[in-house]
Amino acid sequence: MDKEKQQPKAPGVCVPWEEKLKELPPIVSREDLVKQTWQNIDGLAYVCAWHLVLSF
Amino acid sequence: MSKSKEQLYTERLKRYTTAMRNGKPDRVPIRPFAAEFICNHSGYTCQEVTQDYQLAFEATRKCCLDYEWDATVPNMVYLWGAIPQAVGLRYYQVPGVGLDPKTAFNYLEPGEEHSFMRADEYDEFIADPTAFLFNVWLPRVSGDVIAPGKPNTYRNNLAFFKAGLSELSYFMAFGTQVAQMRTECGTPSAICGMLKAPLDVLADKFRGYIGLCEDLMVQPEKVKAACEAMMPHLLHLAIGSADPTKTLPLGFWMHRTCVPFISQEHFDKIHWPTLRPMVEELWRRGHQTLFYAEGVWNAHLDTFAELPEQSIIFHIDRTDPIAAHRALHHKFALSGGVPNYLLAFGKPQQVRDYCKKLIDEVGHDGGYIMDAAAIMQNDTTVENMKAMTEFTCEYGVY
Repeated sequence: MDKEKQQPKAPGVCVPWEEKLKELPPIVSREDLVKQTWQNIDGLAYVCAWHLVLSF
Repeated sequence: MSKSKEQLYTERLKRYTTAMRNGKPDRVPIRPFAAEFICNHSGYTCQEVTQDYQLAFEATRKCCLDYEWDATVPNMVYLWGAIPQAVGLRYYQVPGVGLDPKTAFNYLEPGEEHSFMRADEYDEFIADPTAFLFNVWLPRVSGDVIAPGKPNTYRNNLAFFKAGLSELSYFMAFGTQVAQMRTECGTPSAICGMLKAPLDVLADKFRGYIGLCEDLMVQPEKVKAACEAMMPHLLHLAIGSADPTKTLPLGFWMHRTCVPFISQEHFDKIHWPTLRPMVEELWRRGHQTLFYAEGVWNAHLDTFAELPEQSIIFHIDRTDPIAAHRALHHKFALSGGVPNYLLAFGKPQQVRDYCKKLIDEVGHDGGYIMDAAAIMQNDTTVENMKAMTEFTCEYGVY
């Protein structure tokens, strides 16, 4: 909880890539691909949660 | 030789977009926001179209075919019953579950003492709205989601899978529905995407209207800060849901942020400064916003007139149509205005007379789209819908 409260999350973000990166083993190839995949699925969770507020 | 669906689609889209950009098309377009009215035309109950969105889609397409509307919303019965079930949402009453199957779903706003955000929680919300959403709001609005730190449950874990999959399933289906409206009916979608004002969101889903009113008097600076904290999120969601072709406007659902729900001072100091930049940014990116102004907005027409030309379409619910035309028509198109009570309880001739008045006074030189004042539920009669549609197609020719 304390870690989550450190910084406000940017729009489109539930868990920032920088935070996730610290939990992963060394990325030995194409970090951009891994990052993009994380951000895409993380962004879907963001949209899902916020649309409960907005749409439903 | 009859026109193909694609020819009809092209013709109707041109008519609709010309009017939305305040131009004069070949005739006044008709664009009903038909919600549970689709039940009256299809024979389905409110329960059936709420629980099965494919039935709602099908009933909407049937209306498109039979009435030949120029545009409509792909599913104005926007709540799919699986969503509140999946998440265990407490704030909906759906038809057939504690409610007559022929009655539209209800939104249940809790009293101030049970609001989904407490008066002393603004700082936590302002610091990180997304974290507040997951950690505080979801456990309160859901009967299944457990707050962090509390013992976990099977139903909690399940709720997130079901929420994600149900939303994904529903939203993805809209693409097919829009395509079917085009190929089977020749009817364009009326809107694409969604915007809400921070102050409305705060009242609707966090503090409740009564709680918000107290906060506006006791801690207005916190209210403004909460609205400012929400702005980047609401803008992000609006941009992400907007029409990539920049043809259709975003739907902007305006609830209780006008005088007398709030004071002019709160409108000027809190609501407008946290709404205007979003509308202007959307326009800078090429997206129009449909101001679906539920209720009476007479006090704010001159303020809206400050927005860039063509950036919005102003929808008339109970705002004075003449005043709206006088204040806004030099810059923006108008829509709506046919009273829902007339569509529910009036005679077809009364509907035709009112449509004539609107076309004569508001739509005589273009920039007007015929529609009811508010979304049409199942109190709108088939005869009156037919009268509104047919009269507009006949008398609305320029």
